[in-house]
Amino acid sequence: MVMFDTVHLKAIDKRETFSGCICCQLLFSLSGKRKLNEALLTFAHFSHIEHSIKKKKQRTMSLGQNRSFSEEARYIKNGPKEFPNLKIIDKGFVPGMRVVGKFYADDQLEKLCMDELQEFSNRNQFGGFLPAVKQIANVAGLPGIVKHSIAMPDVHAGYGFAIGNVAAFDMENPESVVSPGGVGFDINCGVRLLRTNLDYKDVRDIQESVAQALFNHIPVGVGSKGIIPTTPKDLHQALEMGIDWSIRQGYAWAEDKEHCEEYGRMLNADATKVSQRAQKRGLPQMGTLGAGNHYMEVQRVEKIFDKSAAKKMGIDRVNQICVMIHSGSRGLGHQVATDALVKMEKAMARDKIHTNDKQLACARINSEEGKEYLDAMAAAANYAWVNRSSMTFLARFEKKIKDKKRFLCMYTYFLIRKQNIILQAFQKIFKQDADDLDMHVVYDVSHNIAKVEQHMVDGKLMKLLVHRKGSTRAFPPHHPLIPVDYQVIGQPVLIGGTMGTSSFVLTGTEKGMRDTFGSTCHGAGRAMSRNKSRKTLDYKDVLNDLKKQGISIRVASPKLVMEEAPESYKDVTSVVDVCHTAGISKKCIQLKPIAVIKVDNLFIILLLLASSSATKMEK
Amino acid sequence: MNVTINWKKQKQNYLIEKNNKENLDHTADIQLHSWGDTLLEAFEQVCIAMFGYMYELEDVQLLKHHTVEVSGHDMSSLLFNFLNEFLGLHFEEDYFIFKDVEIILFDPKGFSLKAIGYGEKFDRDKHGTGTEVKAITYSAMQIKEEKTKCEVWVVVDI
Repeated sequence: MVMFDTVHLKAIDKRETFSGCICCQLLFSLSGKRKLNEALLTFAHFSHIEHSIKKKKQRTMSLGQNRSFSEEARYIKNGPKEFPNLKIIDKGFVPGMRVVGKFYADDQLEKLCMDELQEFSNRNQFGGFLPAVKQIANVAGLPGIVKHSIAMPDVHAGYGFAIGNVAAFDMENPESVVSPGGVGFDINCGVRLLRTNLDYKDVRDIQESVAQALFNHIPVGVGSKGIIPTTPKDLHQALEMGIDWSIRQGYAWAEDKEHCEEYGRMLNADATKVSQRAQKRGLPQMGTLGAGNHYMEVQRVEKIFDKSAAKKMGIDRVNQICVMIHSGSRGLGHQVATDALVKMEKAMARDKIHTNDKQLACARINSEEGKEYLDAMAAAANYAWVNRSSMTFLARFEKKIKDKKRFLCMYTYFLIRKQNIILQAFQKIFKQDADDLDMHVVYDVSHNIAKVEQHMVDGKLMKLLVHRKGSTRAFPPHHPLIPVDYQVIGQPVLIGGTMGTSSFVLTGTEKGMRDTFGSTCHGAGRAMSRNKSRKTLDYKDVLNDLKKQGISIRVASPKLVMEEAPESYKDVTSVVDVCHTAGISKKCIQLKPIAVIKVDNLFIILLLLASSSATKMEK
Repeated sequence: MNVTINWKKQKQNYLIEKNNKENLDHTADIQLHSWGDTLLEAFEQVCIAMFGYMYELEDVQLLKHHTVEVSGHDMSSLLFNFLNEFLGLHFEEDYFIFKDVEIILFDPKGFSLKAIGYGEKFDRDKHGTGTEVKAITYSAMQIKEEKTKCEVWVVVDI
């Protein structure tokens, strides 16, 4: 019967009976012949084939494979009325779901998710990638998961976990797991916002010439090795101390710490758990921006939705200038994640943990691998805070630094030597000291991290390990873990836009605390693969579209323009609006870029700036 | 030490991005696809493909070599570890670019292999660059082994 598909079919072709088949054996025992009359054999087999096909179908149905798109779509329902924009993925969508899956989306964003699912259903189960909704459901099957596996409106397919997925695991349950896939490769990738007291009019007149000067001076396609300013010993300390190391070395202001998630330092960090290879990758990259969607942006305030909250953040008028930094833990974080994946794969076989997706490697929180990963992850997170602090230092253009040597080091280690031209440019723009400019950190959030937090689940206080991958923590007002300055307004949430689109500052809400473990979206989220962007978008069209918006662009790498074009991403405004209507976070400030500094991986710089003509147009 | 390099004529049996009817695109990253007469050849090629995505290999000379030994508990973990080892070595050895990879010992039953990678260190004045591969993933990894043609697909994080 098992052989039915191949061997048996061959037997049928030869008009022979097959010993593995009940019908054949029956006929054989009746007639005593191995070769049979065609009509007789066909009849017997016909009923048999029908029967086994039915059986096979039932079996695959229960495994959640081979379903048609309409069958799949039946599992995805709208949430109850009091939860607008919430979609529910019922149990049974994939095998072994312990809790339901949920995601937030409006009609348009839902369509993107469903299209992805349809594409998946249309091809056979071999090959291809899992759509985000499947990934959300797979996560719902992990041991120890609490309440639901929930995704933000900017969700898109990732490795194991979808990007935008939040999942919490009960710390008291010995079965519970930690998954590097639930954090992502770029550990503690996050956004930091600096405010200034400058006004757009102070910058407008010179920005065009500065941008041109920058572009002329910056060499295209230069190499990747930075001068290594830090010793391995420094790195070791930075990994354990996080932002405290930056403060000690004079790269950060003491008050920066107060305005960072986790106060810029995870205490359980253990640098000895970070492999030599990871440290080696991290050493030359400290204080670098990184590629892909990472950027440093000079922005102006476009709209203020919540005046009192904005005022608490030191932003009190439209056209105030801010600086946004979006960066992570670079190669070090990637290596930590990879190392953990390799180790956990072995541990999974030992502990008999079964998952639906191989990339969804995980380990029990209390196992050696689990603990080791959490400690190494914390160290990588600290590295990212040091990294963002170093770039803040550069943006501030600190002159008062005592140690001249160190200052020079900081200079050189911002990506490449010649990039200090950027700094001079900033200095030209700002012409003042960072202190006079009131360049304080508004907040620093992390959107790729796992943390132990306390949450109320069904009226019970529980200690949970919350994984946020492509999702930002958004704690409500009066939460003990948010800074004193923001106790009344709730935690600021920074949402980075994409090339040329707006960025947002949101605040956390009580509802978000209840519904999403205090989490909200993190950015726009890709709608198109890099490859597809490159193939479907025309370089000139993208530039023309940007031009229409009044954004002129200087490009070193057309590839990057297409990959990071606004069309490749979901609309950040609708993502933020969905979160706002769902009540999981509140809109506070909208920012518009006036200059973007983006670096291709091997350090090709792309600079984008809103030309002054744009403002004229708006007026 | 005198390095003798046994460099076979390089075959380009790989595609960095394959976008066929099945739409093998990933929303965040790229997929490497390689093939060869034997699995061994497909493995070698996918590793070269990875470095081919990061650097322009034409300018790379074969000046030095590194030997790696890896093992796994099944074929896909062997492939993962094999690529991971070379990528790790690339970062560890100051961005050493592997232009050619040769598997000298291959034990498909015990899932282990020994390979030599040839190339030179990255020099920004000399070598053209592409996009840095940051990690290897198991996502949609496929190994197809047939008598006449073997193929592998690997998604890498960039």
